[in-house]
Amino acid sequence: MGRFLLTRLWQSAITLVLASIVIFLGIRLLPGDPATAMAGEDASPEQLAAVRAELGLDDPLFMQYMAYMGQVLTGDLGRSTMHGNPVIDMIGATLPVTLLLATYAMVIAVVFGLLLGVLAERQRGRWPEWFANGAALIGLSVPNFWLGIMAILTLAVGLSLFPASGYVPFRTDPLRALYHLTLPAIILGASVMAVIMRQTRASMLETMQADFVRTARAKGLSRIRVLLRYGLRNSLIVVVTIVGLQLGMLISGTVVTEQIFALPGFGRLILDAVFTRDYPVIQSAVLVVTFGYVVINLIVDVLYSVINPKIRVGGGR
Amino acid sequence: MSKLFKKGRLIGVTSLIASTAILLTACQDPQQTGSGGGDGEEGGNGGVAEDDLRAGEDVTSIPIDGQEISDGGRLVVAVNTEPGTLDPTFNGTMQMRQVAEPYCEKLYDLDDEGGVVPMLATDMPEFSDDGLTVNISVRTGIQFADGSEFDAEAVAISLRRHFEEPESVRASEMGPIESIEAVDEETVEITYERPFAPVAAIFADRAGMIMSPDALEELGENFGDDPVCVGAFRVVEHVPQTGVTLEADPNYYDADNVYLDEIEFRVITDGSIRTANLQSGDVHIAAPIAAQDMDEIVGDENLNAMQTASLGNHYFQVNIGNQNGIGTDPVQIETPIAENPEIRRAFSMAIDRGALVDSVFDGWYDVACSPIAPNTPFATEASDDCHEYDPEAAMELLEEQGVDIPIDVEMMINNQPENVRFAQALQAQVEQSGFNLSIVPVEGTTLVEAQREGDYETAFQFFSGRIDPQANVNNYLETGAASNFSGYSNDEVDELLQAAAATPDTDERAELYGQAISMIHEDNPIVYLYRMRNLLGLSSDIAGVTYYSDGLVRVSHAAFVEDGD
Repeated sequence: MGRFLLTRLWQSAITLVLASIVIFLGIRLLPGDPATAMAGEDASPEQLAAVRAELGLDDPLFMQYMAYMGQVLTGDLGRSTMHGNPVIDMIGATLPVTLLLATYAMVIAVVFGLLLGVLAERQRGRWPEWFANGAALIGLSVPNFWLGIMAILTLAVGLSLFPASGYVPFRTDPLRALYHLTLPAIILGASVMAVIMRQTRASMLETMQADFVRTARAKGLSRIRVLLRYGLRNSLIVVVTIVGLQLGMLISGTVVTEQIFALPGFGRLILDAVFTRDYPVIQSAVLVVTFGYVVINLIVDVLYSVINPKIRVGGGR
Repeated sequence: MSKLFKKGRLIGVTSLIASTAILLTACQDPQQTGSGGGDGEEGGNGGVAEDDLRAGEDVTSIPIDGQEISDGGRLVVAVNTEPGTLDPTFNGTMQMRQVAEPYCEKLYDLDDEGGVVPMLATDMPEFSDDGLTVNISVRTGIQFADGSEFDAEAVAISLRRHFEEPESVRASEMGPIESIEAVDEETVEITYERPFAPVAAIFADRAGMIMSPDALEELGENFGDDPVCVGAFRVVEHVPQTGVTLEADPNYYDADNVYLDEIEFRVITDGSIRTANLQSGDVHIAAPIAAQDMDEIVGDENLNAMQTASLGNHYFQVNIGNQNGIGTDPVQIETPIAENPEIRRAFSMAIDRGALVDSVFDGWYDVACSPIAPNTPFATEASDDCHEYDPEAAMELLEEQGVDIPIDVEMMINNQPENVRFAQALQAQVEQSGFNLSIVPVEGTTLVEAQREGDYETAFQFFSGRIDPQANVNNYLETGAASNFSGYSNDEVDELLQAAAATPDTDERAELYGQAISMIHEDNPIVYLYRMRNLLGLSSDIAGVTYYSDGLVRVSHAAFVEDGD
């Protein structure tokens, strides 16, 4: 087990180094650099040259990369070229917002997806099923951006039910934080909710027509008991699989949602950094995401190997 | 029967969801919803009728004018971009000027007619006879937000920092400075290598923002983390990509006329969403408002609209000689539109600017004929003169040049939707006169980089504009200038522009710029297209707001008006 763990750790470290090289080179392929964005619309060539020299952008790429990795290994992610703030602080401030939004969106998607799925199955051929199918169709086919604008116009401007923008930190006031995040979370979770609703409906349809359900009913179990104990439980397996698969998509979807609702999240941080060619922020933010994926994969691999020792392929006995 | 979705249970589930929504709704901050609802009639839009507003009449002020006002409150202003670092020396964004308005005063400011007036200075600059020395007298007996004293030495320290820091983005704006010294407590003396006229205008922008020497010493290059200046407000927090929060500064010299407790600048990049936030009452002021949303703002009785003609312009630029990038000598580009000024003239004649503005921007913007805005003291008949729209004559002129028609022209544009719409309308219009215009949309920084490197044939671009024409004209059209992306070079134009930049007299400068622009209209390295109006929407319960041609909404002395009911 120890050897397996060491092998996986070594592989993870290699993955991170390779990813850092790809990120580092990838952003430098974009036209323009931080000096272009920093110096403004009427900067002189001398001014641009001075900014480039100050930021070390004149150095050979290898030197720049080594300097950056040297910083990273000592826990220093550098300072934003656009804002001057330490990148680690910027990531620390924005990542929790995105994680909270994605979690909230997933909760909404699961709860409403299950409810609508069950509703659609139980009310086949009647208006609740049409409603559920319509909601799923909208969630799947309408782009987040348009859906967000429509939600703001109807629920925020028209009905004043929710704020159109703004953010309250969860630690400051949990209820108000959730209140401000409700509309963005609904929009973000809409497509996942649609997938869950359709899968739940399909799974329930299959399960509720199975022989064992008929047997259970014949033995006197109430309809609700059969629905909850057998129908929904079987559907939950599918839901859990979807949650796992969609979580990554949900987090990447926050980029658009955060932009629409002016939320200070991680996606917005990266997007803005790309537009302003803020190399330290892009490099470090993407590296943090990569690190997250690598660590999760490592944990999953280790857990698999604990559950099933046959999985320790190439990792010793 | 225990059916899960029996009617009663379904109602129960629905009630649970509804009550959760109501509970969450009850948690909302009352100040963040509802716009306060003024009547928007007599005092609406600063007293300017809707028709006049549509016709382009400026609304530069919504005054308090004896109305009952609340003492305190938090004003939320939606802005369209992130301001970047809050350090005026290193900031290259336009938005920083807006956010800094309440917390970092300048030596000079604008007035409602576009003129420059003293702010932290006490008088206009005094030029020596040879024009090489300029004295600026400044306020004394006032304090920075950290309580330290403001005087000429503090001004000199800030100006030297703006000019001397290697990474400063102010240095190139400040002219050929030789030295900056405080000669006594209330006078700063600036010596120039050669005469430089636009001193007051330059110091009415970020180069004129004065920082606390104590804070500079303490924070050094990290001054932007916690900027300290003289202002009605001081910075509490800056969350990148989200906004900036300010609180009233008790040390401010005019604190008695400051009514708000806090101001939040909230970054909302999309124009429609900014407007929706204004309508929902989540923000009190939205600036700018997209042209296509303006009719909605004007027609809303809970909102007021303000507008001013802007100093900037959108233009079509031809790469004539920028083959190796800015900072290198011009080398003629060998394409028909680059080589032949008559083809560029035909292109200009093929454009019906008024029709484009009306169709793409619902008439809310103005046509542009030159880099000098008509609402400034430097405007002349020559600078307001456009090539007359005549598509047939344009086609004839093109035929006279003996080139294959249609002429293929590739135009690089910023991929913002508004730009794409305009570019497509322009494409359709010039096609009638023999131009096959292909559009290459790219992201903003890529476009600027292509222009700098000379890696484009033509471009559709925008300049936000400055108070003084030196930045709007010389910087774009003088040989070798920092933003001469066309690689344009004309000795006679250079002479006129240099003379204009060195002459202190406004009328003389206007005349010189007029002559230069007449010659530029012959060469057409840049074809000017339209001028955005600065458009703003605000809740009708806000007063004490001014909005001038630099496009900055001034909210330092704003207040919430009490409901008269």
